Amino acid sequence: MKPQPIALKVLNVVSVLLFLAALSMVFLYAPLEATMNYVQKIFYFHIANAWVGMLGFIAAAVAGVVYLVRHDQKWDIVELAAVEISLVFFLIAILAGSIWARPTWGAYWTWEPRLTTAAILEMVYIAYLLLRQGIDDPDRRARFSAVYTLVGAISVPITFLSIRLFRTIHPVVIGTNSAASQGGFDMTSKMLATMFFALFTFSIIFANLFWHRIRLGQLAQQVEQLKLEEIQ
Amino acid sequence: MIAYATSIKYMLAGYALILIVLALYLVSLVIRWRNLKRDLRILKEIQKKSN
Amino acid sequence: MDRPQTTKPRPSPVARRPSSGFLNAIGAIVWKDLAAELRSRELLSAMLVFALLVILIFNFALELDPLTRRVATPGILWATFAFAGTLGLNRSMAVEKDRGCLDGLLLAPVDRSAIYFGKTISNLAFMLIVEVVVLPVYSVLYNTNLFNPGLIVVILLGSVGYVAVGTLLSSLAVQTRTRDVLLPILLFPVVIPILIAAVKASSGFLQGLALTEVMPYINLLIVYDVIFTAVAYMVFDYVVEE
Repeated sequence: MKPQPIALKVLNVVSVLLFLAALSMVFLYAPLEATMNYVQKIFYFHIANAWVGMLGFIAAAVAGVVYLVRHDQKWDIVELAAVEISLVFFLIAILAGSIWARPTWGAYWTWEPRLTTAAILEMVYIAYLLLRQGIDDPDRRARFSAVYTLVGAISVPITFLSIRLFRTIHPVVIGTNSAASQGGFDMTSKMLATMFFALFTFSIIFANLFWHRIRLGQLAQQVEQLKLEEIQ
Repeated sequence: MIAYATSIKYMLAGYALILIVLALYLVSLVIRWRNLKRDLRILKEIQKKSN
Repeated sequence: MDRPQTTKPRPSPVARRPSSGFLNAIGAIVWKDLAAELRSRELLSAMLVFALLVILIFNFALELDPLTRRVATPGILWATFAFAGTLGLNRSMAVEKDRGCLDGLLLAPVDRSAIYFGKTISNLAFMLIVEVVVLPVYSVLYNTNLFNPGLIVVILLGSVGYVAVGTLLSSLAVQTRTRDVLLPILLFPVVIPILIAAVKASSGFLQGLALTEVMPYINLLIVYDVIFTAVAYMVFDYVVEE
Protein backbone atom coordinates (compact mmCIF):
# COMPACT_ATOMS: atom_id res chain seq x y z
CA MET A 1 0.00 0.00 0.00
CA LYS A 2 1.46 3.30 -1.05
CA PRO A 3 2.12 5.77 1.77
CA GLN A 4 -0.02 8.87 1.95
CA PRO A 5 0.72 11.18 -0.95
CA ILE A 6 1.72 14.71 -0.05
CA ALA A 7 -1.59 16.10 -1.26
CA LEU A 8 -3.42 13.92 1.22
CA LYS A 9 -1.17 14.96 4.08
CA VAL A 10 -1.75 18.58 3.22
CA LEU A 11 -5.48 17.93 3.04
CA ASN A 12 -5.38 16.38 6.52
CA VAL A 13 -3.85 19.52 7.96
CA VAL A 14 -6.18 21.81 6.03
CA SER A 15 -9.22 19.85 7.23
CA VAL A 16 -8.24 20.10 10.86
CA LEU A 17 -7.50 23.83 10.57
CA LEU A 18 -10.75 24.54 8.79
CA PHE A 19 -12.65 22.52 11.38
CA LEU A 20 -11.15 24.54 14.21
CA ALA A 21 -11.85 27.74 12.31
CA ALA A 22 -15.48 26.75 11.78
CA LEU A 23 -15.86 25.96 15.47
CA SER A 24 -14.47 29.37 16.38
CA MET A 25 -16.81 31.06 13.94
CA VAL A 26 -19.78 29.27 15.47
CA PHE A 27 -18.92 30.17 19.04
CA LEU A 28 -17.15 33.49 18.71
CA TYR A 29 -18.42 35.16 15.55
CA ALA A 30 -22.02 34.10 14.98
CA PRO A 31 -24.53 36.14 16.98
CA LEU A 32 -27.12 34.66 19.33
CA GLU A 33 -30.47 33.90 17.80
CA ALA A 34 -33.45 35.68 19.25
CA THR A 35 -35.84 32.88 20.21
CA MET A 36 -33.67 29.81 20.46
CA ASN A 37 -30.65 31.22 22.20
CA TYR A 38 -27.52 29.09 22.29
CA VAL A 39 -29.03 25.83 21.10
CA GLN A 40 -29.52 27.32 17.64
CA LYS A 41 -25.75 27.11 17.14
CA ILE A 42 -26.10 23.37 16.62
CA PHE A 43 -27.80 24.27 13.37
CA TYR A 44 -24.53 25.21 11.62
CA PHE A 45 -22.90 21.82 12.03
CA HIS A 46 -26.20 19.97 11.68
CA ILE A 47 -26.71 21.43 8.21
CA ALA A 48 -23.05 20.87 7.28
CA ASN A 49 -23.24 17.20 8.26
CA ALA A 50 -26.46 16.70 6.32
CA TRP A 51 -24.74 18.36 3.36
CA VAL A 52 -21.85 15.88 3.54
CA GLY A 53 -24.40 13.09 3.76
CA MET A 54 -25.94 14.35 0.52
CA LEU A 55 -22.56 14.51 -1.18
CA GLY A 56 -21.93 10.92 -0.17
CA PHE A 57 -25.34 9.85 -1.41
CA ILE A 58 -24.76 11.39 -4.83
CA ALA A 59 -21.23 9.98 -5.02
CA ALA A 60 -22.53 6.50 -4.21
CA ALA A 61 -25.26 6.69 -6.83
CA VAL A 62 -22.82 7.86 -9.51
CA ALA A 63 -20.25 5.23 -8.55
CA GLY A 64 -22.90 2.53 -8.72
CA VAL A 65 -23.98 3.46 -12.21
CA VAL A 66 -20.39 3.78 -13.42
CA TYR A 67 -19.56 0.38 -11.99
CA LEU A 68 -22.45 -1.26 -13.84
CA VAL A 69 -21.30 0.36 -17.05
CA ARG A 70 -17.54 -0.14 -16.71
CA HIS A 71 -17.24 -3.24 -14.47
CA ASP A 72 -14.10 -1.76 -12.96
CA GLN A 73 -13.67 -2.90 -9.36
CA LYS A 74 -12.30 0.44 -8.22
CA TRP A 75 -15.73 2.02 -8.62
CA ASP A 76 -17.06 -0.54 -6.17
CA ILE A 77 -14.50 0.69 -3.64
CA VAL A 78 -15.59 4.28 -4.28
CA GLU A 79 -19.24 3.32 -3.87
CA LEU A 80 -18.70 1.58 -0.53
CA ALA A 81 -16.63 4.52 0.76
CA ALA A 82 -19.35 6.97 -0.25
CA VAL A 83 -22.11 4.90 1.38
CA GLU A 84 -20.20 4.56 4.63
CA ILE A 85 -19.38 8.25 4.90
CA SER A 86 -22.92 9.23 4.01
CA LEU A 87 -24.22 6.83 6.65
CA VAL A 88 -22.03 8.30 9.39
CA PHE A 89 -22.66 11.93 8.52
CA PHE A 90 -26.41 11.60 8.11
CA LEU A 91 -26.40 9.82 11.47
CA ILE A 92 -24.64 12.77 13.06
CA ALA A 93 -27.05 15.15 11.36
CA ILE A 94 -30.08 13.23 12.62
CA LEU A 95 -28.74 13.00 16.18
CA ALA A 96 -27.68 16.66 16.31
CA GLY A 97 -31.00 17.67 14.81
CA SER A 98 -32.86 15.68 17.47
CA ILE A 99 -30.96 17.41 20.24
CA TRP A 100 -31.74 20.76 18.65
CA ALA A 101 -35.39 19.80 18.29
CA ARG A 102 -35.96 18.83 21.91
CA PRO A 103 -35.77 22.27 23.54
CA THR A 104 -37.06 24.03 20.42
CA TRP A 105 -40.18 22.03 19.60
CA GLY A 106 -40.51 19.81 22.66
CA ALA A 107 -39.82 16.49 20.95
CA TYR A 108 -36.68 14.64 19.92
CA TRP A 109 -38.37 13.35 16.81
CA THR A 110 -40.96 14.67 14.41
CA TRP A 111 -42.15 12.71 11.43
CA GLU A 112 -41.37 15.54 9.07
CA PRO A 113 -40.29 14.73 5.50
CA ARG A 114 -36.56 15.44 5.66
CA LEU A 115 -36.02 13.74 8.98
CA THR A 116 -38.09 10.69 8.06
CA THR A 117 -36.41 10.36 4.67
CA ALA A 118 -33.00 10.60 6.32
CA ALA A 119 -33.97 7.77 8.66
CA ILE A 120 -35.21 5.65 5.76
CA LEU A 121 -31.99 6.37 3.88
CA GLU A 122 -30.03 5.09 6.87
CA MET A 123 -32.07 1.88 6.69
CA VAL A 124 -31.22 1.56 3.01
CA TYR A 125 -27.52 1.98 3.83
CA ILE A 126 -27.66 -0.63 6.55
CA ALA A 127 -29.44 -3.00 4.17
CA TYR A 128 -26.66 -2.28 1.66
CA LEU A 129 -23.97 -3.21 4.19
CA LEU A 130 -25.84 -6.38 5.19
CA LEU A 131 -26.15 -7.31 1.54
CA ARG A 132 -22.40 -6.97 1.07
CA GLN A 133 -21.75 -9.00 4.19
CA GLY A 134 -23.73 -11.90 2.74
CA ILE A 135 -21.70 -12.27 -0.45
CA ASP A 136 -18.18 -13.66 -0.60
CA ASP A 137 -17.44 -13.43 -4.30
CA PRO A 138 -16.03 -9.92 -4.96
CA ASP A 139 -17.42 -9.61 -8.47
CA ARG A 140 -20.95 -10.67 -7.50
CA ARG A 141 -20.78 -8.48 -4.40
CA ALA A 142 -19.84 -5.46 -6.49
CA ARG A 143 -22.59 -6.12 -9.04
CA PHE A 144 -25.31 -6.67 -6.47
CA SER A 145 -24.24 -3.66 -4.42
CA ALA A 146 -24.35 -1.46 -7.49
CA VAL A 147 -27.83 -2.70 -8.37
CA TYR A 148 -29.10 -2.03 -4.85
CA THR A 149 -27.44 1.39 -4.82
CA LEU A 150 -29.30 2.25 -8.00
CA VAL A 151 -32.62 1.05 -6.58
CA GLY A 152 -32.04 3.00 -3.37
CA ALA A 153 -30.85 6.13 -5.15
CA ILE A 154 -34.07 6.28 -7.16
CA SER A 155 -36.42 5.23 -4.42
CA VAL A 156 -35.25 7.58 -1.66
CA PRO A 157 -35.98 10.85 -3.50
CA ILE A 158 -39.38 9.43 -4.46
CA THR A 159 -39.90 8.57 -0.78
CA PHE A 160 -39.09 12.16 0.19
CA LEU A 161 -41.62 13.50 -2.30
CA SER A 162 -44.21 10.96 -1.16
CA ILE A 163 -43.89 11.98 2.48
CA ARG A 164 -44.09 15.64 1.50
CA LEU A 165 -47.23 14.92 -0.49
CA PHE A 166 -48.60 13.07 2.52
CA ARG A 167 -47.84 16.02 4.78
CA THR A 168 -49.21 18.80 2.58
CA ILE A 169 -52.53 17.10 2.10
CA HIS A 170 -52.66 15.97 5.71
CA PRO A 171 -50.75 18.43 7.84
CA VAL A 172 -49.03 17.19 10.93
CA VAL A 173 -51.44 16.97 13.83
CA ILE A 174 -48.74 16.88 16.45
CA GLY A 175 -46.72 20.05 16.55
CA THR A 176 -47.58 23.47 15.25
CA ASN A 177 -47.32 24.86 11.77
CA SER A 178 -45.48 27.95 12.88
CA ALA A 179 -42.20 28.92 11.38
CA ALA A 180 -40.39 27.79 14.48
CA SER A 181 -41.77 24.29 14.17
CA GLN A 182 -40.63 24.12 10.58
CA GLY A 183 -37.16 24.96 11.81
CA GLY A 184 -37.19 28.39 10.31
CA PHE A 185 -35.65 31.48 11.74
CA ASP A 186 -34.35 34.66 10.24
CA MET A 187 -30.64 34.55 9.60
CA THR A 188 -28.52 37.62 9.76
CA SER A 189 -25.58 38.01 7.40
CA LYS A 190 -23.10 36.87 10.07
CA MET A 191 -25.12 33.71 10.58
CA LEU A 192 -25.23 33.08 6.85
CA ALA A 193 -21.49 33.54 6.61
CA THR A 194 -20.94 31.07 9.43
CA MET A 195 -23.25 28.57 7.82
CA PHE A 196 -21.57 28.78 4.43
CA PHE A 197 -18.16 28.51 6.00
CA ALA A 198 -19.32 25.40 7.87
CA LEU A 199 -20.60 23.93 4.59
CA PHE A 200 -17.28 24.68 2.92
CA THR A 201 -15.29 23.18 5.82
CA PHE A 202 -17.29 20.01 5.82
CA SER A 203 -17.00 19.66 2.06
CA ILE A 204 -13.23 19.64 2.51
CA ILE A 205 -13.59 17.17 5.38
CA PHE A 206 -15.76 15.00 3.13
CA ALA A 207 -13.08 14.96 0.41
CA ASN A 208 -10.45 14.15 3.00
CA LEU A 209 -12.33 11.27 4.60
CA PHE A 210 -13.45 10.01 1.20
CA TRP A 211 -9.84 9.75 0.07
CA HIS A 212 -8.82 7.95 3.26
CA ARG A 213 -11.77 5.57 3.07
CA ILE A 214 -10.98 4.73 -0.56
CA ARG A 215 -7.39 3.95 0.42
CA LEU A 216 -8.73 1.71 3.15
CA GLY A 217 -10.90 -0.02 0.57
CA GLN A 218 -7.95 -0.55 -1.74
CA LEU A 219 -5.97 -2.11 1.10
CA ALA A 220 -8.93 -4.33 1.95
CA GLN A 221 -9.12 -5.43 -1.66
CA GLN A 222 -5.43 -6.31 -1.64
CA VAL A 223 -5.83 -8.38 1.52
CA GLU A 224 -8.92 -10.13 0.19
CA GLN A 225 -7.19 -11.02 -3.07
CA LEU A 226 -4.28 -12.53 -1.18
CA LYS A 227 -6.66 -14.50 1.01
CA LEU A 228 -8.48 -15.86 -2.02
CA GLU A 229 -5.17 -16.82 -3.61
CA GLU A 230 -4.09 -18.64 -0.48
CA ILE A 231 -7.31 -20.61 -0.35
CA GLN A 232 -6.70 -21.79 -3.90
CA MET B 1 -37.29 32.45 24.44
CA ILE B 2 -35.57 29.32 25.61
CA ALA B 3 -33.98 29.56 29.02
CA TYR B 4 -30.26 30.25 29.03
CA ALA B 5 -29.35 27.24 31.13
CA THR B 6 -31.38 24.76 29.07
CA SER B 7 -30.12 26.25 25.86
CA ILE B 8 -26.45 25.97 26.75
CA LYS B 9 -26.94 22.44 28.09
CA TYR B 10 -28.48 21.20 24.86
CA MET B 11 -25.98 23.04 22.70
CA LEU B 12 -23.06 21.47 24.52
CA ALA B 13 -24.73 18.06 24.35
CA GLY B 14 -25.22 18.51 20.62
CA TYR B 15 -21.66 19.51 19.92
CA ALA B 16 -20.30 16.82 22.20
CA LEU B 17 -22.31 14.26 20.25
CA ILE B 18 -21.08 15.56 16.91
CA LEU B 19 -17.47 15.49 18.02
CA ILE B 20 -17.73 12.09 19.69
CA VAL B 21 -19.33 10.35 16.70
CA LEU B 22 -16.82 11.95 14.33
CA ALA B 23 -13.99 10.83 16.58
CA LEU B 24 -15.40 7.31 16.80
CA TYR B 25 -15.51 7.10 13.02
CA LEU B 26 -11.92 8.29 12.69
CA VAL B 27 -10.84 5.77 15.32
CA SER B 28 -12.65 2.99 13.45
CA LEU B 29 -10.82 3.97 10.26
CA VAL B 30 -7.48 3.83 12.04
CA ILE B 31 -8.22 0.49 13.69
CA ARG B 32 -9.40 -1.08 10.45
CA TRP B 33 -6.30 0.24 8.68
CA ARG B 34 -3.99 -1.25 11.28
CA ASN B 35 -5.79 -4.62 11.19
CA LEU B 36 -5.58 -4.79 7.42
CA LYS B 37 -1.87 -3.88 7.48
CA ARG B 38 -1.30 -6.68 9.95
CA ASP B 39 -3.30 -9.14 7.84
CA LEU B 40 -1.29 -8.12 4.79
CA ARG B 41 1.98 -8.74 6.59
CA ILE B 42 0.84 -12.17 7.79
CA LEU B 43 -0.46 -13.16 4.37
CA LYS B 44 2.77 -12.09 2.67
CA GLU B 45 4.77 -14.19 5.13
CA ILE B 46 2.56 -17.20 4.47
CA GLN B 47 2.99 -16.63 0.75
CA LYS B 48 6.77 -16.49 1.11
CA LYS B 49 6.80 -19.69 3.14
CA SER B 50 4.67 -21.62 0.69
CA ASN B 51 6.77 -20.52 -2.30
CA MET C 1 -16.19 -32.08 -53.47
CA ASP C 2 -19.30 -34.13 -53.01
CA ARG C 3 -20.66 -33.87 -49.54
CA PRO C 4 -23.26 -36.38 -48.35
CA GLN C 5 -26.63 -34.72 -48.34
CA THR C 6 -27.78 -33.97 -44.83
CA THR C 7 -31.05 -32.35 -44.02
CA LYS C 8 -30.67 -28.62 -43.78
CA PRO C 9 -31.00 -27.59 -40.10
CA ARG C 10 -34.13 -25.56 -39.65
CA PRO C 11 -33.51 -22.18 -38.05
CA SER C 12 -34.76 -22.21 -34.45
CA PRO C 13 -38.09 -20.51 -33.92
CA VAL C 14 -36.49 -18.10 -31.49
CA ALA C 15 -34.02 -16.85 -34.07
CA ARG C 16 -36.66 -16.47 -36.73
CA ARG C 17 -39.24 -14.53 -34.67
CA PRO C 18 -37.45 -13.02 -31.69
CA SER C 19 -40.36 -11.00 -30.36
CA SER C 20 -42.76 -13.93 -30.10
CA GLY C 21 -39.94 -16.03 -28.65
CA PHE C 22 -39.64 -13.46 -25.89
CA LEU C 23 -43.35 -13.53 -25.14
CA ASN C 24 -43.38 -17.31 -25.38
CA ALA C 25 -40.60 -17.50 -22.83
CA ILE C 26 -42.47 -15.25 -20.42
CA GLY C 27 -45.63 -17.28 -20.91
CA ALA C 28 -43.74 -20.51 -20.34
CA ILE C 29 -42.26 -19.30 -17.07
CA VAL C 30 -45.60 -18.01 -15.78
CA TRP C 31 -47.32 -21.23 -16.80
CA LYS C 32 -44.62 -23.34 -15.14
CA ASP C 33 -44.99 -21.47 -11.85
CA LEU C 34 -48.78 -21.52 -11.89
CA ALA C 35 -48.97 -25.19 -12.87
CA ALA C 36 -46.45 -26.18 -10.21
CA GLU C 37 -48.36 -24.21 -7.63
CA LEU C 38 -51.66 -25.74 -8.71
CA ARG C 39 -50.23 -29.17 -7.99
CA SER C 40 -48.50 -28.52 -4.71
CA ARG C 41 -50.34 -25.45 -3.39
CA GLU C 42 -47.64 -25.01 -0.79
CA LEU C 43 -46.80 -21.41 -1.61
CA LEU C 44 -50.38 -20.12 -1.72
CA SER C 45 -51.47 -21.95 1.41
CA ALA C 46 -48.47 -20.60 3.30
CA MET C 47 -49.15 -17.04 2.14
CA LEU C 48 -52.88 -17.26 2.89
CA VAL C 49 -52.49 -18.72 6.36
CA PHE C 50 -49.82 -16.17 7.14
CA ALA C 51 -51.97 -13.27 5.93
CA LEU C 52 -54.93 -14.41 8.03
CA LEU C 53 -52.70 -14.84 11.06
CA VAL C 54 -51.35 -11.31 10.60
CA ILE C 55 -54.89 -9.94 10.53
CA LEU C 56 -55.63 -11.91 13.69
CA ILE C 57 -52.57 -10.48 15.41
CA PHE C 58 -53.54 -6.96 14.41
CA ASN C 59 -56.94 -7.52 15.94
CA PHE C 60 -55.43 -8.18 19.36
CA ALA C 61 -52.46 -5.87 18.97
CA LEU C 62 -54.52 -2.82 18.12
CA GLU C 63 -57.76 -3.40 20.07
CA LEU C 64 -59.66 -0.74 18.17
CA ASP C 65 -63.22 0.51 18.46
CA PRO C 66 -65.22 0.21 15.23
CA LEU C 67 -64.71 3.84 14.21
CA THR C 68 -60.93 3.82 14.64
CA ARG C 69 -60.77 0.45 12.96
CA ARG C 70 -62.35 1.93 9.86
CA VAL C 71 -59.56 4.48 9.76
CA ALA C 72 -56.90 1.85 10.40
CA THR C 73 -58.20 -0.66 7.82
CA PRO C 74 -56.05 0.45 4.86
CA GLY C 75 -52.92 0.35 7.01
CA ILE C 76 -53.70 -3.10 8.36
CA LEU C 77 -54.47 -4.41 4.89
CA TRP C 78 -51.28 -3.12 3.36
CA ALA C 79 -49.11 -4.26 6.25
CA THR C 80 -50.62 -7.72 5.79
CA PHE C 81 -50.03 -7.66 2.04
CA ALA C 82 -46.45 -6.48 2.48
CA PHE C 83 -45.58 -9.27 4.92
CA ALA C 84 -47.38 -12.02 3.02
CA GLY C 85 -45.87 -10.72 -0.21
CA THR C 86 -42.37 -11.10 1.20
CA LEU C 87 -43.13 -14.71 2.02
CA GLY C 88 -44.26 -15.38 -1.54
CA LEU C 89 -41.30 -13.61 -3.12
CA ASN C 90 -38.83 -15.51 -0.98
CA ARG C 91 -40.31 -18.94 -1.65
CA SER C 92 -40.80 -18.31 -5.34
CA MET C 93 -37.14 -17.47 -5.90
CA ALA C 94 -35.79 -20.04 -3.46
CA VAL C 95 -37.63 -22.82 -5.23
CA GLU C 96 -36.14 -21.62 -8.50
CA LYS C 97 -32.63 -21.67 -7.16
CA ASP C 98 -32.86 -24.90 -5.19
CA ARG C 99 -34.32 -26.99 -7.99
CA GLY C 100 -31.73 -25.63 -10.39
CA CYS C 101 -34.46 -24.13 -12.52
CA LEU C 102 -32.69 -20.81 -12.53
CA ASP C 103 -29.61 -22.28 -14.18
CA GLY C 104 -31.80 -24.08 -16.67
CA LEU C 105 -33.60 -20.87 -17.51
CA LEU C 106 -30.31 -19.07 -17.93
CA LEU C 107 -29.11 -21.64 -20.43
CA ALA C 108 -32.18 -21.12 -22.57
CA PRO C 109 -31.66 -18.88 -25.63
CA VAL C 110 -33.92 -16.10 -24.42
CA ASP C 111 -33.39 -12.57 -23.29
CA ARG C 112 -32.67 -12.57 -19.55
CA SER C 113 -35.40 -10.03 -18.97
CA ALA C 114 -37.96 -12.63 -20.05
CA ILE C 115 -37.06 -14.47 -16.86
CA TYR C 116 -37.63 -11.30 -14.90
CA PHE C 117 -41.02 -10.60 -16.44
CA GLY C 118 -42.09 -14.21 -16.15
CA LYS C 119 -41.22 -14.40 -12.46
CA THR C 120 -42.75 -10.99 -11.79
CA ILE C 121 -46.03 -11.94 -13.42
CA SER C 122 -46.30 -15.20 -11.53
CA ASN C 123 -45.36 -13.48 -8.25
CA LEU C 124 -48.02 -10.88 -9.01
CA ALA C 125 -50.56 -13.62 -9.65
CA PHE C 126 -49.85 -15.23 -6.27
CA MET C 127 -50.03 -11.91 -4.47
CA LEU C 128 -53.32 -11.01 -6.15
CA ILE C 129 -54.81 -14.39 -5.26
CA VAL C 130 -53.95 -13.82 -1.61
CA GLU C 131 -55.44 -10.33 -1.74
CA VAL C 132 -58.59 -11.62 -3.38
CA VAL C 133 -59.06 -14.01 -0.48
CA VAL C 134 -58.11 -11.57 2.27
CA LEU C 135 -60.55 -8.85 1.20
CA PRO C 136 -63.80 -10.78 1.74
CA VAL C 137 -62.45 -12.40 4.91
CA TYR C 138 -61.59 -9.00 6.35
CA SER C 139 -64.95 -7.61 5.24
CA VAL C 140 -66.78 -10.36 7.09
CA LEU C 141 -64.61 -10.30 10.21
CA TYR C 142 -64.91 -6.54 10.68
CA ASN C 143 -68.23 -5.84 9.06
CA THR C 144 -66.85 -3.34 6.55
CA ASN C 145 -67.58 -3.34 2.88
CA LEU C 146 -64.30 -3.60 1.02
CA PHE C 147 -65.81 -4.22 -2.42
CA ASN C 148 -64.87 -0.84 -3.74
CA PRO C 149 -63.69 -0.55 -7.38
CA GLY C 150 -61.25 2.20 -6.44
CA LEU C 151 -59.76 0.00 -3.77
CA ILE C 152 -59.34 -2.81 -6.28
CA VAL C 153 -57.43 -0.48 -8.59
CA VAL C 154 -55.16 0.65 -5.78
CA ILE C 155 -54.46 -2.93 -4.73
CA LEU C 156 -53.61 -3.81 -8.31
CA LEU C 157 -51.25 -0.85 -8.81
CA GLY C 158 -49.63 -1.29 -5.43
CA SER C 159 -49.07 -5.00 -5.93
CA VAL C 160 -47.51 -4.43 -9.35
CA GLY C 161 -44.94 -2.02 -7.94
CA TYR C 162 -44.27 -4.18 -4.90
CA VAL C 163 -43.70 -7.27 -7.00
CA ALA C 164 -41.63 -5.42 -9.63
CA VAL C 165 -39.05 -4.37 -7.06
CA GLY C 166 -39.53 -7.48 -4.95
CA THR C 167 -38.71 -9.90 -7.74
CA LEU C 168 -35.51 -8.02 -8.56
CA LEU C 169 -34.40 -7.87 -4.95
CA SER C 170 -35.36 -11.47 -4.21
CA SER C 171 -33.15 -12.52 -7.13
CA LEU C 172 -30.35 -10.71 -5.31
CA ALA C 173 -31.20 -12.05 -1.88
CA VAL C 174 -31.52 -15.69 -2.90
CA GLN C 175 -27.91 -15.67 -4.10
CA THR C 176 -26.48 -14.50 -0.79
CA ARG C 177 -25.64 -16.44 2.32
CA THR C 178 -28.35 -14.77 4.40
CA ARG C 179 -31.11 -15.42 1.83
CA ASP C 180 -34.65 -15.23 3.24
CA VAL C 181 -33.75 -12.91 6.06
CA LEU C 182 -32.27 -10.37 3.71
CA LEU C 183 -35.25 -9.75 1.43
CA PRO C 184 -37.46 -7.78 3.85
CA ILE C 185 -34.42 -5.74 4.93
CA LEU C 186 -33.64 -4.85 1.33
CA LEU C 187 -37.24 -4.44 0.21
CA PHE C 188 -39.11 -2.49 2.86
CA PRO C 189 -37.11 0.76 2.91
CA VAL C 190 -37.30 0.93 -0.85
CA VAL C 191 -41.00 0.16 -1.18
CA ILE C 192 -42.21 2.85 1.24
CA PRO C 193 -43.59 5.17 -1.49
CA ILE C 194 -45.93 2.34 -2.50
CA LEU C 195 -47.08 1.86 1.07
CA ILE C 196 -47.66 5.59 1.57
CA ALA C 197 -49.54 6.01 -1.71
CA ALA C 198 -51.49 2.75 -1.44
CA VAL C 199 -52.63 3.35 2.12
CA LYS C 200 -53.61 6.94 1.41
CA ALA C 201 -55.41 6.08 -1.83
CA SER C 202 -57.18 3.08 -0.25
CA SER C 203 -58.24 5.27 2.63
CA GLY C 204 -59.50 7.91 0.22
CA PHE C 205 -61.61 5.44 -1.73
CA LEU C 206 -63.01 3.74 1.35
CA GLN C 207 -63.99 7.06 2.88
CA GLY C 208 -65.55 8.16 -0.39
CA LEU C 209 -63.31 11.17 -0.87
CA ALA C 210 -63.42 13.12 -4.13
CA LEU C 211 -61.35 11.64 -6.93
CA THR C 212 -59.21 14.79 -7.17
CA GLU C 213 -57.98 14.19 -3.64
CA VAL C 214 -57.01 10.61 -4.33
CA MET C 215 -55.48 11.13 -7.78
CA PRO C 216 -52.07 12.41 -6.57
CA TYR C 217 -51.53 9.11 -4.80
CA ILE C 218 -52.71 7.07 -7.78
CA ASN C 219 -50.30 9.04 -9.95
CA LEU C 220 -47.52 8.34 -7.49
CA LEU C 221 -48.27 4.61 -7.71
CA ILE C 222 -48.28 4.66 -11.50
CA VAL C 223 -45.04 6.64 -11.68
CA TYR C 224 -43.36 4.30 -9.19
CA ASP C 225 -44.56 1.22 -11.08
CA VAL C 226 -43.31 2.50 -14.42
CA ILE C 227 -39.94 3.69 -13.13
CA PHE C 228 -39.12 0.55 -11.20
CA THR C 229 -40.32 -1.91 -13.81
CA ALA C 230 -38.05 -0.10 -16.28
CA VAL C 231 -35.12 -0.05 -13.87
CA ALA C 232 -35.53 -3.73 -12.96
CA TYR C 233 -35.76 -4.66 -16.63
CA MET C 234 -32.53 -2.80 -17.42
CA VAL C 235 -30.63 -4.12 -14.47
CA PHE C 236 -31.77 -7.76 -14.23
CA ASP C 237 -28.99 -8.99 -16.49
CA TYR C 238 -26.41 -7.94 -13.92
CA VAL C 239 -28.18 -9.93 -11.25
CA VAL C 240 -28.20 -13.27 -12.98
CA GLU C 241 -25.02 -13.21 -15.03
CA GLU C 242 -22.44 -15.74 -14.00
